Amino acid sequence: MKKILIVDDMVFMRLSIKNMLEKEGQFEFYEASNGMEAVQRYKEFKPDLVTMDITMPDMTGIEALKLIIEYDPKAVVMMISAMGQEAMVRESILSGAKTFIIKPFKEEQMLKTVQKLLSI
Amino acid sequence: MQDKITNEPMLDVYIFETSQLLEQLEQTVLKCEKGTGFAVSDINEIFRIMHTIKGSSAMMMFQNISVLAHTAEDLFYFLREEKPEEVDCSFICDAVFQSIDFIKVELEKIKNGDKADGDSKEIAGSIKNILSELKANCGSVNMPIDEKRREEKPKKYYISQDRVNISQYKYAYKAVIFFEDDCELENIRAFTVIHELSGTAGEICHEPENLEDTSECIEKIQKDGFLIFFQSNESYEQIKELLENTIFLKKLELTNLGEKGHENSKDTVKAAEGISKRINDVPKEGHSSANQGIISVNVSKLDKLMDLVGEMVIAEAMVTQNPDLKGLELGNFHKAARQLKKITDELQDTVMSVRMVPLGPVFLKMQRIVRDMSKQLKKEITLQIIGEDTEVDKNIIEHISDPLMHLVRNAADHGIEPPEERLMQNKDRTGVITLEAKNAGGDVRIIVRDDGKGLKREDILKKAQSLNLLPKNPEEMEDKEVFNLLFLPGFSTKDDVSEYSGRGVGMDVVMQNIRAIGGTVTVDSKPGKGMSTTLSIPLTLAIIDGMNLRVGDSYYTIPMVSIIESLRPRERDIIIDPEGREILMIRGQSYPVLRLHRLYDVKTKITCFTEGIIVVVRQEGKLFCIFADELIGQQQVVVKSLPAYIRKMKQIKGLAGCTLLGDGSISLILDAAGLADC
Repeated sequence: MKKILIVDDMVFMRLSIKNMLEKEGQFEFYEASNGMEAVQRYKEFKPDLVTMDITMPDMTGIEALKLIIEYDPKAVVMMISAMGQEAMVRESILSGAKTFIIKPFKEEQMLKTVQKLLSI
Repeated sequence: MQDKITNEPMLDVYIFETSQLLEQLEQTVLKCEKGTGFAVSDINEIFRIMHTIKGSSAMMMFQNISVLAHTAEDLFYFLREEKPEEVDCSFICDAVFQSIDFIKVELEKIKNGDKADGDSKEIAGSIKNILSELKANCGSVNMPIDEKRREEKPKKYYISQDRVNISQYKYAYKAVIFFEDDCELENIRAFTVIHELSGTAGEICHEPENLEDTSECIEKIQKDGFLIFFQSNESYEQIKELLENTIFLKKLELTNLGEKGHENSKDTVKAAEGISKRINDVPKEGHSSANQGIISVNVSKLDKLMDLVGEMVIAEAMVTQNPDLKGLELGNFHKAARQLKKITDELQDTVMSVRMVPLGPVFLKMQRIVRDMSKQLKKEITLQIIGEDTEVDKNIIEHISDPLMHLVRNAADHGIEPPEERLMQNKDRTGVITLEAKNAGGDVRIIVRDDGKGLKREDILKKAQSLNLLPKNPEEMEDKEVFNLLFLPGFSTKDDVSEYSGRGVGMDVVMQNIRAIGGTVTVDSKPGKGMSTTLSIPLTLAIIDGMNLRVGDSYYTIPMVSIIESLRPRERDIIIDPEGREILMIRGQSYPVLRLHRLYDVKTKITCFTEGIIVVVRQEGKLFCIFADELIGQQQVVVKSLPAYIRKMKQIKGLAGCTLLGDGSISLILDAAGLADC
């Protein structure tokens, strides 16, 4: 079973993503509500995929991304962004994020992206 | 309201989190407005909150909220990036407050299952106006800043700049990539592809050349696809696989251009990207909203838990005090029963503590009210908050929010004088309203104090006389009694009706609300010095420490907090005053006596004071005696409200509710405040 770490400061977004992916029923989910926690969780569970919100308090998704890539250059991280964050999306791609998805996203977009990233 | 909340968990979470964010936002903006304007960390925070609200609202398809939040986000993005010097802080704050109010109203609609159909265009328009005004000012006045930014900007990232050696690659390729229609930000998708390729390829050349965030660039990629020429040592299949892994890929056309040296790749490629490093410098202080180790639980579950624990406390008493056990020698049983009691007590305390929440959020809500009112009434008022950590039961919070709002509004509207008037009286220009909370025994005291003009005894008396509300000769009345007239229904000393504190229904509503949860309200005032209203509120509604009494075949429970002492009087201590009322003398003090059997018409053989028991009870400084047949004992009881059908039939004076005793019989809980009026 593939492990997915969902990082977002809002329970709502975490739940949304989980609901979308859960329908495929083959994932094991972990959650983190901020950047620091995300890095800890990553080290702890070695997830196959991380969905990372960019805008979070205390530590942004990009900083967390950098720390995760530093720890594991092969980490598969997908950024969750919204319109208006182009510069940050670019920065995250340069920092090692595999791709990004723009809020509001549809279920099929999310599923397809995740499946492709995990090559299933 | 609780049961109207939709069952859909996503929506619940959305509403809950968005309202929390709004509250946080409100506090931040209030802070900014009070201080000297927007600090960098504040702007970041407001930006972040608006951004988050935009995202989740768009996910839930609440376009009006999302659009409004987006507009606000744009404004704060501008503030963050351009740092314009001349910003009309209060103007912006007003706009943000309007937005907050709008979103709150929409959320309320959503919560009630209505359509969120409000029109945010007007507010969004005014925010846009602010933004364009700022932009115009910034363009002309702050030229230097603009130039400085331009200098910083060209921090270009040259892809594969380390691969200078052209002859390194074996093959040359051409690829055309089409992205899926709804993938958005095609230019950055393309940028991602280039970034991926740069690991294995060099000499990358692409069309459009400049992947800037412009709609032309995006449209071109949508229409013609993203065209790339590059060289690599990887085989066609490997490259194909790599590119096919592109997320949101719709179509890939990959052609092998043969061995290296193709014309198209002659130029040294500088796939330049204008990336200005805009690292979001996050505020180090501030609220970390999601703390690990804390979960949020639906209140209805807590209520259920509380109910169950209450039932268990009763059940425990029913077992350990079971009449069948009377007279039996049960050493081990009692040992086990004591253990059980200890655990249930602990359980009860724990559940109670879970339900306790600090008063802080309720107090903070008042800040907004004071802010709005001082603007409207052109008064200068600051709100001082003391003891916001004081905790009370969740249910109580819900009940005191409205009364507190009334009191704060009253203080701001009627209490605090306009600045000129205050100056004439040698007071500080700015009036102060203080909200204070503290623990006092089993109660929590909440005090609303202002340093305004205070209450005038004569005005109140005059008004009461004209309304025919005077209970007795005004000269006999103490100040406190005079002030208590304010709580009579329909009493208001202000003749004109204002938008805020209304038509004088306020104070008696306050009284009713606080009484409903077993609390009391007292008012104190000195003319010219201000007024203070004290709410005494029980820590919890659910479980009280009570003394059980028997009258005939009925049982009554008096809350321990209101009992002073119990005694059996001697014949000579009883006096009958000229009006026929019974008075009891205790240590030289006289107290009126209330016969429970007479009040509730209960048949009993014990009617003589010397055979029964007298319980001395205190209510707001007034002492009186309650006469019953006998004391049964002290016990923690779970308060249940009287069944609705009884309440509907008749308003029974002096009853706060009922409870079950250990033997399963029903006991009526007496309310000292109600009895005092009997």
